[in-house]
Amino acid sequence: MLVDAFLELLNIWVLVAALIGIVSGIIIGTIPGLGPTMAIALLIPVTFSMQPIPAIILLLGVYQGAIFGGSISAVLLNVPGTPSSAATAIDGFAMARRGEGGRALRFALYASVFGNIFSCFVLMALAEPLARFALDFGPAEMAMLMLFALLVIVIFGGGSKLDALIMVLVGACAGIVGLDPISGTPRFTFGSFAFENGFQLIPVLIGLFAMAEVLMQAFDREPLVGDVQVPPLKSSVVRFAEVWRMRVTLLLSSIIGTFVGILPGIGSTVPAFMSYNLARSRSKDAEQFGKGAPEGVAAPEAANNAVTGGALVPTLALGIPGDAVTAVILGAFMLHGLAPGPFLFRDHGLEVYAIFEALLLSSIPTVILGLMFFRVAIHVTRIQPRHLLPAITILAVFGAFSVNNSLFDVWVMLGAGVLGFLFRRANFPLPPLLIGLILGAPFEQSLRQALLTSGGSYGIFVGSPITLGLMALIVLCVLISLALDIRKART
Amino acid sequence: MSHKTQGGFARPGFRTLTVGLLLAAAAWGLVSLDSQIEIFGFGASGPDARSFPRVALWLLAAVAALRLILCLRTEDTPLGLSRLGRVLTLTASCAAALWAIPHIGFFFGAAGVGIVVALVLGERRPLLLGLPLVIAAVVTFGGRYGLSIPLP
Repeated sequence: MLVDAFLELLNIWVLVAALIGIVSGIIIGTIPGLGPTMAIALLIPVTFSMQPIPAIILLLGVYQGAIFGGSISAVLLNVPGTPSSAATAIDGFAMARRGEGGRALRFALYASVFGNIFSCFVLMALAEPLARFALDFGPAEMAMLMLFALLVIVIFGGGSKLDALIMVLVGACAGIVGLDPISGTPRFTFGSFAFENGFQLIPVLIGLFAMAEVLMQAFDREPLVGDVQVPPLKSSVVRFAEVWRMRVTLLLSSIIGTFVGILPGIGSTVPAFMSYNLARSRSKDAEQFGKGAPEGVAAPEAANNAVTGGALVPTLALGIPGDAVTAVILGAFMLHGLAPGPFLFRDHGLEVYAIFEALLLSSIPTVILGLMFFRVAIHVTRIQPRHLLPAITILAVFGAFSVNNSLFDVWVMLGAGVLGFLFRRANFPLPPLLIGLILGAPFEQSLRQALLTSGGSYGIFVGSPITLGLMALIVLCVLISLALDIRKART
Repeated sequence: MSHKTQGGFARPGFRTLTVGLLLAAAAWGLVSLDSQIEIFGFGASGPDARSFPRVALWLLAAVAALRLILCLRTEDTPLGLSRLGRVLTLTASCAAALWAIPHIGFFFGAAGVGIVVALVLGERRPLLLGLPLVIAAVVTFGGRYGLSIPLP
């Protein structure tokens, strides 16, 4: 399988797709305010006419490139290009101010690649066995699993649990529109055929992440980056021995990034700060942290890049996205006929392993392109999002239309954009909404199928070791959350 | 209504507005649930097509009401009516463009909305205001002939 998958990669279009994806990702990630989620959502329609493997590799290249690109503006401007780079900015900018910006970016790049490689191996090791295990899941097990995923997002997603719960419910309620998954009865369709397909994922994604950003910028209209003086970027070298000295930090950070990434809804910001704090607590020069310690740059970068592979484990094996970006990638997989879930590896194993290998091998062009882009990046950071927003709006209209060649989807995109703007201004988190939208309908379907099977008896949800195990996990999560809340209240 | 006071009411802002809208939407969903979802009983036991929406909407209404109460007692993000005006202008122009696209075509609709976005964002340089025309042309041409998408 692995050799066959590798042979699939020996195609010039795969290489071209990977290079375009990584370069676009680095550029987009460098510009503060434009994140990988928006970039991938806008690029999905461009991949319609492509083969599934190069299409997904292009989008994953954007993901990888943007996570690293976020560290460029964090280090040079102290403005994180992506939220997950906020931890990198602490020591990265301090290094840049004393003329070591080049070294900081090199440490960030090597740590990013280390985190990516580590998480790719974990992805390859875990995803397929997990999917095979999930093949035994019936509707009751799937319903419990999805309930667990939704609960984890609410409890551990960060921020207010009440806000996260509201967003999950908004997503689940939006998923109700369309035909009933069991009886086919129209629900909230207002007698319109257009509503019978429900809200398509891609127009909603484009609205929430691209159109909402345009409206946010129209509201704020202040540049995210003012006339900041970029510290001089001197020629610099990072020796292998310097990276080797921080091997334990890189490994621990990658482990944190990967395994936190597996949990749905947490994203890459939390593991980046967790790794930073761990690296500081382990360091002999803890007082150097915050003043320009290379390990303070490497630890969060390894962690936030390791999230990539970790978040793809539940996305691909179970169809449960780990964060907003993987929710968008899940949409891309579905559009290309590779429906994520337990059957993905059985039906499209070759394509999936080719994508895994490409993700692993793309570390090589990421290093080369990353090193090449350091100096170009200084100019990229000067691009204001407002210069790009008219183009983003046009691409958003085009992207939403092209999903079904329907203007109805463009109206959905605009509506999602307005809602996304309101939610973001009101400080509600968007990832729980997205995951509620994706999981709401299958959760209802599994729940009702299970109850139909059992003749209406709720005993089916405690009738198998898997459902009991998942229920125990749910109770454990609630107890941990309560314990953390009590401890927080006491301190 | 006064600004935030200790234990009193804060001036409604984005959170209050958003949560209020969510509560209204959930309430409307619950009221219209029976008319929007018809049930054809075939004697099956267990939940029907209305059960999950009813539970989800009740839960949403309950948590939105709770958040609204909390919002009214805490500081809220001000609406900023002049800034909100720009957002409304942009949304209205997008809606107008969408309405017009079947009549004037994708290129003119998309280019128009792109120019409005540039203007709303404060762009006044003619070169950058003309850029949406070029982008719309590239997207229209690429979409029609590169991706074979039947753009209006």
